[in-house]
Amino acid sequence: MNPQEYWNPVLETMPREKLKILQFKKFKRILNWAYTRSKFHRALYDTAGLTPDDICSFDDIKKIPKVEKSMMRGIQNKDPFPYGDALCVPLEEVSTFRQTSGTTGQPVYQPDTWQDWEWWSECWSFILWAQGYRPRDRVFIPFGYNIFVAFWAGHYAAEKLGCEVVPGGVLDTQSRILKIKELNATAMMATPTYILRMADVAKNKMGIDPSLLSINKITCAGEPGAGIPSTKKRMEDAWGAKVYDHSGATEIGAWSYECSKQPCGMHVNEAMFLVEIEDLNTGEIIEEAGRKGKMIITALDRMAQPCIRFDSKDVIEWDPEPCSCGRSFRLIKGGVIGRSDDITKVKGVLLSPAAIEEVVRSIDGLGNEFEIIVDKQGDVDRIKLKVELLPGVTRLSIENILKDQLRLKTNLGYLIEFYDYGSLPRYEVKAKRFKDLRKKNFNEKEERP
Amino acid sequence: MKNFSNLKGVNDKILKIKQLLLELEAEATQFPALEKNSKRALASIKMLELNISDIVVFDLADS
Repeated sequence: MNPQEYWNPVLETMPREKLKILQFKKFKRILNWAYTRSKFHRALYDTAGLTPDDICSFDDIKKIPKVEKSMMRGIQNKDPFPYGDALCVPLEEVSTFRQTSGTTGQPVYQPDTWQDWEWWSECWSFILWAQGYRPRDRVFIPFGYNIFVAFWAGHYAAEKLGCEVVPGGVLDTQSRILKIKELNATAMMATPTYILRMADVAKNKMGIDPSLLSINKITCAGEPGAGIPSTKKRMEDAWGAKVYDHSGATEIGAWSYECSKQPCGMHVNEAMFLVEIEDLNTGEIIEEAGRKGKMIITALDRMAQPCIRFDSKDVIEWDPEPCSCGRSFRLIKGGVIGRSDDITKVKGVLLSPAAIEEVVRSIDGLGNEFEIIVDKQGDVDRIKLKVELLPGVTRLSIENILKDQLRLKTNLGYLIEFYDYGSLPRYEVKAKRFKDLRKKNFNEKEERP
Repeated sequence: MKNFSNLKGVNDKILKIKQLLLELEAEATQFPALEKNSKRALASIKMLELNISDIVVFDLADS
């Protein structure tokens, strides 16, 4: 064990029995905090007939009711505006607003205090240190700094580590590549789609071989690509750099990371988060490796709007093998495998078929049936939407409204195909209107109507 | 790695800094620069508590 490889050599190599004690005590602390300060949490636990004093052992944790994203939306309709009654601090303590992308419905607002932001960047510090970021690095971040959390905390963490950060906010792709070249940037953070897109632009539009630039490591987030071996290889070959995966979410925090050993999975930061895996059918908590389930997660130190037993709907499984890096933090095999409710990420944005359905069926000139096909054109995600025009309705009268509404509700662009009414498949029981052809095991051939 | 094996000693220092900052913050009425910078520093101290103090307080350090 080389202590210099760890951000916190004590926590990251702590024996598992001690780690479990740490998690339990921190869980009790955040539970008490929420119970005494948040009307929402108090009501949730009172309704279940529980108080924090009833949680006496690690096994008792599963008695605590889960929180669903849909519940957070309801909370926001209450005072104080705009966060609602899960807020645990006075409104004047909130220093930062973020929101989810809203592709599954109304966006969820996330308040953070300055301490929470210190915590966010602390969690990212574990990630970046494990991936080899050091003070000598010059980190280029080609991210449109905005209301989405994305790489904000990565920026702060890189600064904390002592790296030099170059914010590549409003630059276009070619300008970003030129800036990387000009400054000899050594590291980069972006979605896998954009990493590949940048490589494509550099090579095919600018005559620059990105593998000859100075980037030697890339941290990915927002999409599963860095956990998919073939996509990771494409990125690493294109840039001549190591590509690392990471997973986080606005409501949760940055909870897992791939280390420099690249073990085909991600470590859960078990000093800062408690991850439980729940069987999708029975709801039992899965302890053993090799069984997929839905992640239930607690951020153990997030204070303004606590995240306690949040039903993330991410599908994961524990890896049976320990990592050769020496961390005692468990690995999730292959990273986040998917979403339990069929929500998927396209171009780094969560896409819900239900959100598209809502748009299609809100437009009078369209039929009930539709089909969504997500695939890749080259290395870039593409969404094809097939819709039917009702008899007598023209494409011209519909197309712009549909595109505008889709963009508004899902933050994504679509290739839209119009068909005569009655052309698309009909279903008797359950419909299969969503096809993600990017998935490795998707064998069904696309059928022409 | 002297500090690595003396987490209790490190924690004592963290608590001293925290106490001083809390006193500064309390004395900062009508002095925003003192109050807000003390508060920011306390947020950083909290990260030291998460990294070090919790291990000591929860009695998880190697003896």
